[in-house]
Amino acid sequence: MDQLTGITWVAEHFIGMFNEGGKTFVGFVTGIIPTLVVLLTAFYAVTSLIGEDRVHNAARWAGKYALTRYSLLPLLAVFFLTNPMAYTFGVFLEEKHKPAFYDAAVSFVHPSTGLFPHTNPGELFVWLGVAAGITTLQTAGNPALTFTVTDLAVAYFFVGLLVITLKGIVTERITAILAKRQGVEL
Amino acid sequence: MAKKYKAVRVEQGRGGWGGPLVILPTPERDKIVAITGGGIPAEAKRLAELTGATVIDGFKAPPVESEICAVVIDCGGTARCGVYPRKRIPTINLTPVGQSGPLAQFITEDIYVSGVKAQNMKLADGSEPVTVGFDSKEKPMAKQAARPAPAADGSGSGALVDIITSIGRVMGKVVNILFNSGRRSVDQVIRNVIPFMAFVTMMIGIINYTGIGNGLAHLMEPLAGNIVGLLILSAICGIPFLSPILGPGAVIAQVIGAAIIGPAIGTGAIAPAMALPALFAYNTQVGCDFVPVGLALGEAKPETIQIGVPAVLISRQIMGPVSVLIAYAASYLL
Repeated sequence: MDQLTGITWVAEHFIGMFNEGGKTFVGFVTGIIPTLVVLLTAFYAVTSLIGEDRVHNAARWAGKYALTRYSLLPLLAVFFLTNPMAYTFGVFLEEKHKPAFYDAAVSFVHPSTGLFPHTNPGELFVWLGVAAGITTLQTAGNPALTFTVTDLAVAYFFVGLLVITLKGIVTERITAILAKRQGVEL
Repeated sequence: MAKKYKAVRVEQGRGGWGGPLVILPTPERDKIVAITGGGIPAEAKRLAELTGATVIDGFKAPPVESEICAVVIDCGGTARCGVYPRKRIPTINLTPVGQSGPLAQFITEDIYVSGVKAQNMKLADGSEPVTVGFDSKEKPMAKQAARPAPAADGSGSGALVDIITSIGRVMGKVVNILFNSGRRSVDQVIRNVIPFMAFVTMMIGIINYTGIGNGLAHLMEPLAGNIVGLLILSAICGIPFLSPILGPGAVIAQVIGAAIIGPAIGTGAIAPAMALPALFAYNTQVGCDFVPVGLALGEAKPETIQIGVPAVLISRQIMGPVSVLIAYAASYLL
């Protein structure tokens, strides 16, 4: 009899693990997917309606200046082309600026997902995991929480933008130093 | 050239997809490029041996695209596996992955083969045509040709009809765009979002139910619960030989975010004020695995890639902790 209860215990807890996972899955599917599908559709439509030519012209302009090269250009690239095609906007730049642009653009494919999930739908959980934690506190009405999920998404976006600008400038400098040391003209 | 280069037939391996490809180098295209990180895999060496081509480590000395005869990758189905098929460069994936990732539509059987092991490569008997990539940059002319100038045939129909037809045409175009956007978003959700949810929720289920989650949260608390710990975490994730390994598919960042830090914030083990700096700390390695491919997408020259890879990695080591500090400062504004 003892052995049987042992087996029952194992079986119960074995399936319990997956029931717990299933519950989380249903929560994600009903809580995230409906809005995501509609949002993705809207943003894909907006990017196609604006059209490639106009975006290319804006990108060419943004690539000219150090400040916009690592802020506005990655933003345009990530918003309109999404991960991973965003990096193709490197073609508008000189060789010596390409590594820094890549660094800036790739560092923006997650900070952008809080507000614009279409930019990187395959890697949403970098953001969604933490967002889910904040949502839990929010629905529980936890007094330790002084901001909302939306506040955090906005902050993630703008801090991301500031960070990639600095990253771009630093990487551009490091690229120049490495190129000089190896005697390569980029 | 026939005396030097031999055609090799590459078949899919166990669980693999696509192919078979017949790889035949030419004097112009004589490089097999391994973009796997951590040296040249045995399969790439074997292919080079059989064909007579030169094998090259794409991370160290990437050649110009026009010299590439085939690429060997080990992508688990995120971004890299579609990049070269999109450029119509024959792609051999050592990982058994089919049409997946954001560029799935470009992964076709005539340019891509996966799950390949050394024993799946044989000298071709010449019964099959050689796989040839072509430059996909040539803009298809069909679009212009298919749209003949709106002939002024309705001379008697009047302006009203013209207006109606042009409104109809615009409406048709817009509806088409909207419908395609819908298809794209459903496609993305099914191909990329739901599979990841399945994987993450399975982990969350096990971690939460067994109580490993609490243990992990306590373990991570000294690292993720205060700013000094987050700076250390970021510095570790940014170590130049570690960051390319932690990067692929952002899987590690997503698991840490969704299975450990997120729930720990939800239960109160980690203060909500740490959320913003944590987002930057555990994602310090973002894109470090993808530098050569990302640069190639921007049509960077081989010298640029050679210098760009270390430049980005070194920069990341410095800027990772700096961005955590910036995020920490910004979290006071929340």
